[in-house]
Amino acid sequence: MIFKVFKKKELAALYELLAVNAVVGPVRKGTDRHNQPLNDFARVYSFADLALDYSTTVHSPKRFVLPYRKDLARFTVNEQKWRKETDLDTERPVVFFGMHACDINALNKLDKVLAESVYPVSSYIRKRRNMFIIGLNCRPSPQCFCRSMGTDSVLHGYDMFLTDLGDKYFAEISSVTAFNFLQQIKCRDPGPGDERQYEAVTAEKTARFTTEVDTSDLTKILDLEFYSPAWDRWGRKCLSCGTCANVCPTCYCYGVEESVDLNLQEAHKTRFLYSCNLHDFAKVAGGHNFRPLASTRLKYRYYHKHRGFVEAFEESLCVGCGRCGAACLAGITPPEVIADVRGKKKCVHGREEKHDE
Amino acid sequence: MTNRVTPYDTPGRHGRCRAGDPASFESSFQAEITNIYSLTAREKLYQIQLVDQEERNRFMFRPGQFVMLEIPGIGEAPFSISSSPLRHGNLELCIRAVGNLTNFLDRVRRGCSVGISGPFGTHFPVENMHGQDILLIAGGLGIVPLRSPLWEVLDNRNRYGTVDIIYGAKRPVELLFTYQYEEWRQFDINLQITVDQGDKDWHGSVGLITEILKERLNRDGDALAAKTCAIVCGPPVMFHFVCDMLIKAGIPMQKIFVSLERRMHCGRGKCCRCNIGSTYTCLDGPVFDYWSAMNLKEAI
Amino acid sequence: MADTLSYLGVPLSRPRVAFFELTSCEGCQLQIFNNEASLLDFLSLVEIVNFREAMTEKSDDYEIAFIEGSISRRDEVEKLKKIRRQAKVLVALGSCACFGGVNRLRNRFHDLDWVKKEVYGDFPVDTAEVQPLEAQVPVDLKIYGCPIKKEEVERVISNLVLGKAVTPPEYPVCMECKAHENLCLYELGEPCLGPITRAGCDAWCPDNRRGCWGCRGPAEEANVKELEKIMRRYHFSREIIIDRLECFGGFAAYVDKLRAPGRHTHG
Repeated sequence: MIFKVFKKKELAALYELLAVNAVVGPVRKGTDRHNQPLNDFARVYSFADLALDYSTTVHSPKRFVLPYRKDLARFTVNEQKWRKETDLDTERPVVFFGMHACDINALNKLDKVLAESVYPVSSYIRKRRNMFIIGLNCRPSPQCFCRSMGTDSVLHGYDMFLTDLGDKYFAEISSVTAFNFLQQIKCRDPGPGDERQYEAVTAEKTARFTTEVDTSDLTKILDLEFYSPAWDRWGRKCLSCGTCANVCPTCYCYGVEESVDLNLQEAHKTRFLYSCNLHDFAKVAGGHNFRPLASTRLKYRYYHKHRGFVEAFEESLCVGCGRCGAACLAGITPPEVIADVRGKKKCVHGREEKHDE
Repeated sequence: MTNRVTPYDTPGRHGRCRAGDPASFESSFQAEITNIYSLTAREKLYQIQLVDQEERNRFMFRPGQFVMLEIPGIGEAPFSISSSPLRHGNLELCIRAVGNLTNFLDRVRRGCSVGISGPFGTHFPVENMHGQDILLIAGGLGIVPLRSPLWEVLDNRNRYGTVDIIYGAKRPVELLFTYQYEEWRQFDINLQITVDQGDKDWHGSVGLITEILKERLNRDGDALAAKTCAIVCGPPVMFHFVCDMLIKAGIPMQKIFVSLERRMHCGRGKCCRCNIGSTYTCLDGPVFDYWSAMNLKEAI
Repeated sequence: MADTLSYLGVPLSRPRVAFFELTSCEGCQLQIFNNEASLLDFLSLVEIVNFREAMTEKSDDYEIAFIEGSISRRDEVEKLKKIRRQAKVLVALGSCACFGGVNRLRNRFHDLDWVKKEVYGDFPVDTAEVQPLEAQVPVDLKIYGCPIKKEEVERVISNLVLGKAVTPPEYPVCMECKAHENLCLYELGEPCLGPITRAGCDAWCPDNRRGCWGCRGPAEEANVKELEKIMRRYHFSREIIIDRLECFGGFAAYVDKLRAPGRHTHG
């Protein structure tokens, strides 16, 4: 790995260099009722729009690789024959300015299913390969438990990763494109002082985590606790609304909608992201529902994240960003659910109310 | 020096493409329904041929695998292949009209174009069953995925020991493939059929599959465990009773195979709709040995 | 206009369709003619034989009847039963037909005679408790919303013609709202019934920073009990909760449970 250091004001220069491409970054979208900023990823048109001090965005950057809705195919029908056309989208490069480690890890995990396993998804791969990612270190908020999931730092999947050292940035460079860009701004090799400072900042970040999830033997515990009453407890709270899956950076399940145009000459096939918490997720033709209860669906979500994916890829599908827990009106958070399934009550900071059962 | 990040794809690959283009995740074979036979009031047998002759000959599948069949604007769903693997891209699918796609299929005529993708999923390992006695147990529509391994066994009849088919349906009018029973029997196959409820023309057995199975299992006694492989397919409630009996009779779990069904959108391990616990029915199934199926929570 | 339709060689019949209204604002019917771009294609799929709001000809020979509005007078029951006898498929069009709609708010006053006197004075008006169509006749299909979405009617029609099942989303509005990456209205201090209301509106109101009022009624699984707790946690009073739940009639069964008996008899 090659490291560089540059002054903070140089970041604006770097932005200007990159801004001939489409740039996506964290922006302030509003403030909540406690006057705290709410951020999201969006297309940015000026360096000043970037909210680089953001904690976690409300929604994940997932939609830039997995749009909520996407036309899969268009059909032209003629008598008994038809023709199917699929869209090979033209992808222009997109620069992601300031993505945190958890979200980069999330993309790496999505790659495992959508790009690196059998039947790769071409539209995903095209989008993914046209991403230029500038990572950014973060200050953990109370909802974050990425450290427990091993995703608080990221080893690959970015072009450069920046760590804020107060008046300068410490850059880890992992692509030649990134290296070439840095050649164009004022930067230097790090000295021993920079390295100490980098280590101190990283250590300070690690010390800031307040939420923990005990993941030891979790796959086995999930199997053992398949009939645990904890699932019913949380299932009773679940609204079956799919919010958790929508804000999740790694949920990729989808549904398909087929429609025939009113002129009966064209048809469309559309993919939309779905959620395993929705009532009809496991309903089959004929009406049988394999998971009719909110508790069984909620359980299934945890099984997929923390057990099934581990079985298939030796790592959890959860990156511990805490978005699902923050977005869940019913206050269902993975640290609490997992602690409960393990038979422990877990105190998680930053939420207003816990179990009211 | 330009600051544009170089696009990954070369321009030639952009734009719309035809369905058969392997660059698309949505790639499928163009196929045509060449014949339709009504088997019962609800089920029809569709003979489907891949249009391109080369693709048709190259199309290889193993018994128990499924294809995704698509009709534009109506739907796409998984169907077990019910024909012999020797017939490549001349497929037979037996389909009951229950949902949008299948109800529409019920109304189409010969010559209608359909999209076929696949074959997908795991198969019944009939090639590992050489020298063994084969026990095929089917309830209702379960006979459909069993017909393909049956063809394979018939095509290589001398490689297998005794072959038993135990098939149960609710009523005689719901029995599938009645026109082929004589043909099967000519291959020295012991076909036993039972219905839950007979009618005035029914002279065969009335009762549950398990009763017939009990007789069959008693016949071999202790030798059963060493030389029998069982393939079971039917409604979920049947799995429990039948598999329990087979295991109690001494057939090892890893020699009992089941085929499971779930909702699917892709067949390619992406949409997650078919997951059982966290196993993909489309990639890791639909055929599981009973040991694996037992390890799946909520599977059967 | 061709009278024989077909799709992929499957012959389809062009249904004869009629539109009727009971107590309503007729806004849902208006929606159907709001989209000129697809109107001609729409008319090629169906033959409209009765539509007071849009044409003068009238015929009672129809297969599909769309009925907007709720039952609020005794004579409407007769009208509805007559339509039911004729129609092969009876479609409840909009929240009034499905749940009673805004009209149903009248039922919150237990003393209807008092209401009648307050509103109409001594003028003789036949009025009864408001009911959805389902209370009097079997309903085959429901198109939810206040107003309905034109696209949904088009989809229902093309599905009926093609023989496809008409299935409204089972999930709640949150699903569509999140897909638009809206900020949650609870975070912004607004009450919202999105988590329990049937989707299909494409999060129309939340997209415009208005909390959902539940016009499409409960989702297939509506955890009203939990949402009530949530609303209290976000400091919304019981009155606000009841008002929202009651507005379009879809949650009537839940409101009855929520409200202590005997309250609101005289407004």
